[in-house]
Amino acid sequence: MALQVYTASLLKEGLVAYLALDNGRPSWTTDIHLATVSNDDALETLKTAAEQSEQDNIVVAPYAIDVFQTENGIVAATKREQIRAAGPTIALPQDNIRESREAA
Amino acid sequence: MDNYIKDRKVDSNEWMPFTGLEDGDSLPTGDIYVPLEEWLNARETLLTRNGRLGVALRNTDDPAIIKDDLERLDLVVLEFPKMADGRAFTQARLLRERYGFKGEIRATGDVLYDQLFYMQRCGMNGFELRDDQNASNSLKAFDEMTVTYQPASDEELPLWRRNK
Amino acid sequence: MYQYSEQDHQLLLERVSQFRGQVARRLKGELSEEEFKHQRLRNGLYLQLHAYMLRVAIPYGLLSSEQMRTLAHIARKYDKGYGHFSTRQNIQYNWPKLEDVPDILDDLAKVEMHAIQTSGNCIRNTTSDPLAGVARDEIEDPRPYCELIRQWSTFHPEFNFLPRKFKIAVSGATQDRAAVAVHDIGLRLVKSKTSEEIGFEVYVGGGLGRTPMLGKVIRAFLPKQDMLTYLEAILRVYNMLGRRDNIYKARIKILVHETGEEKFRELVEAEWEKIKAGGLYLKEEDFNWVKGFFNDPEYDILPDQDADFENLMLSNADFARWVDKNIELHKQSGYRIVYLSLKTAHQPPGDVTADQMDAIADLADKYSLGHIRTTHRQNLVLSDVQLKDLPALWGELKALDLATPNYNHVTDIISCPGLDYCALATARSIPISQAITARFDDYDFINDLGDVSINISGCINACGHHHVANIGILGVNKKGTEVYQLTLGGSAREDAAIGKIIGPAFEADEIVDAVSEVLSVYLENREDPEETFLTAYRRLGPALFKERLYG
Repeated sequence: MALQVYTASLLKEGLVAYLALDNGRPSWTTDIHLATVSNDDALETLKTAAEQSEQDNIVVAPYAIDVFQTENGIVAATKREQIRAAGPTIALPQDNIRESREAA
Repeated sequence: MDNYIKDRKVDSNEWMPFTGLEDGDSLPTGDIYVPLEEWLNARETLLTRNGRLGVALRNTDDPAIIKDDLERLDLVVLEFPKMADGRAFTQARLLRERYGFKGEIRATGDVLYDQLFYMQRCGMNGFELRDDQNASNSLKAFDEMTVTYQPASDEELPLWRRNK
Repeated sequence: MYQYSEQDHQLLLERVSQFRGQVARRLKGELSEEEFKHQRLRNGLYLQLHAYMLRVAIPYGLLSSEQMRTLAHIARKYDKGYGHFSTRQNIQYNWPKLEDVPDILDDLAKVEMHAIQTSGNCIRNTTSDPLAGVARDEIEDPRPYCELIRQWSTFHPEFNFLPRKFKIAVSGATQDRAAVAVHDIGLRLVKSKTSEEIGFEVYVGGGLGRTPMLGKVIRAFLPKQDMLTYLEAILRVYNMLGRRDNIYKARIKILVHETGEEKFRELVEAEWEKIKAGGLYLKEEDFNWVKGFFNDPEYDILPDQDADFENLMLSNADFARWVDKNIELHKQSGYRIVYLSLKTAHQPPGDVTADQMDAIADLADKYSLGHIRTTHRQNLVLSDVQLKDLPALWGELKALDLATPNYNHVTDIISCPGLDYCALATARSIPISQAITARFDDYDFINDLGDVSINISGCINACGHHHVANIGILGVNKKGTEVYQLTLGGSAREDAAIGKIIGPAFEADEIVDAVSEVLSVYLENREDPEETFLTAYRRLGPALFKERLYG
């Protein structure tokens, strides 16, 4: 059975966020490992909570993504979602400049 | 509440849309507007009435079709089927600037706060706001911007020449 | 450079305040996301893969040092300390918060900058030749015309909800450094064949994306007085007749294509006849006024040689390489144009840190009359550097990692942000550009290859202009894997051409080898080192390349 989590962008910050349910109380976290994972049956609960958050102007455009549970935590199934979860796969410019200066 | 703005004031809408032209005897009294096809088909009958007349254009219609009728019309209704569809901006300018229409040019459909400034500049002066909009709150949208660069229905000259 | 009047300032302040209101209404829920999207896009604000992205306009690629410092300040205060110069001569910030954007716009407005119409289905920021006003091959300076277009198109009430986005480029030189053939409208300043009169050759319907097309010459000569009335006529025809039923067929290139060039011309000319004497007809006084902002600076009278410069050329091979690659002749004796390469092994193409921006602003003040230009190949230009200052400038640029000698060479790669940043992307672009740079990061090889362009796009929307590269790379997602198609033979210059796909796509770990093979075929088959890649490709055709790549 496919495992899924709900993701969206935070309205105010624009950052990638994942839905976590704590005793039914929804919150949004930028850490995919803290997301509530659901199988097909329980997905409807997540969906309802996500859509409510959208209506409450907390997040924008929520949708479900496929994930795997691994020993290192939750991993998104597609490359796109892995990049959303972890950030750009390249070093950001100032990191690089710092490194090249340190090397020199 | 009509949710209607005319000449920058919240107003009540006196106009009735009318399409039931099959029966010429039952033409309503008062101010009515009809779709372009009805106008083209039944112009003479419609003109026998006493009330004011308007024509509604689809946003694919060329306003040139009614340019010779404009003296007999008090209203042209333009449509914004969705906010992003901006064809009626051109229609409004042509009606005002090219064909010299003096009556009301009315925006209908997805008429939202943030478009009012542009609509007004193109010569529209009647606004049937979408149901969820608040007409009195929307009045300030007309004055959010006071500087305009280019000529339109409200300005004949570009800013750089107005200053001279 | 254009100086804002009180009214220009007023307009920016009003726009910021309007946008602040729109943000507040969105946060309160009075505007739906769909409605807000139209508004935020018209102010350059996207919601991208990781965060909001703000695209700030750099009108026709011209910046003052003060403006550059403000860009640095914004990168530091509201973002992660860097910005990205795009192929449309603008700058993008990748991490701003929605709540901060009105404040960013306030800071920009203080230095006569904004994000107006940098996105959305409206007339975008006009782009131009980064060498405008200093190029030797210039017929006339395009910037005054760009400024008139900027004013005409800013909040144009009729054309703010077009079928699709609309891009205008203006070139004033013999060589095309503004890629006019791949814009919705391209204007080339030309001299009339029958008189000394200056006017425009008007291209309409060029563009890249999923249906790449070169613009058609709709008018061979348009008197300059008619520039704005003619643009208005084109836009009006497009606004009424452009397709709105299918987003992929909504650009003006499709209208021109489906209507037919001849019929489209008739429509435009018929509309133009009716408005050509209107308020947008340009008079001599208008040109005099706007040209007054772009007068030549007071250049020193200098010899076109300098002993220290010559000596360093002879004694320092690195300096000589940089001069050979990144310096261009200037119309004024004793001056040179300097390209600052934003293509190093250490940073994504077009990315600049806040510290670099501040330093570039200082260098512009010190060596180049306080101005900086951005190029559509994602580099920067200091346009007015005295020959005698080149050694010192080179030293400072080297320390900033901005002196890679590769302008218009193989590692001067255009790359879109790709799947590392972009919500539309289907594959990553930056890692491919970095892998290519790492592979070919050898001056002698780069020098031997000569003039060649590699452009990379991370999806079919082609923001990386892969169609008009000599070697274009398009990343796509094939069953969950990023694969890369090669197109060969494109050009964005005066000999503009759309490249052709050479064959099946390569995987990420094969694409650099494939590029290497393509370059080898060129090196083995060129007539002499003077024959460029593109010339050789046009002579040889695709067969040899195909055979080497696919056997």
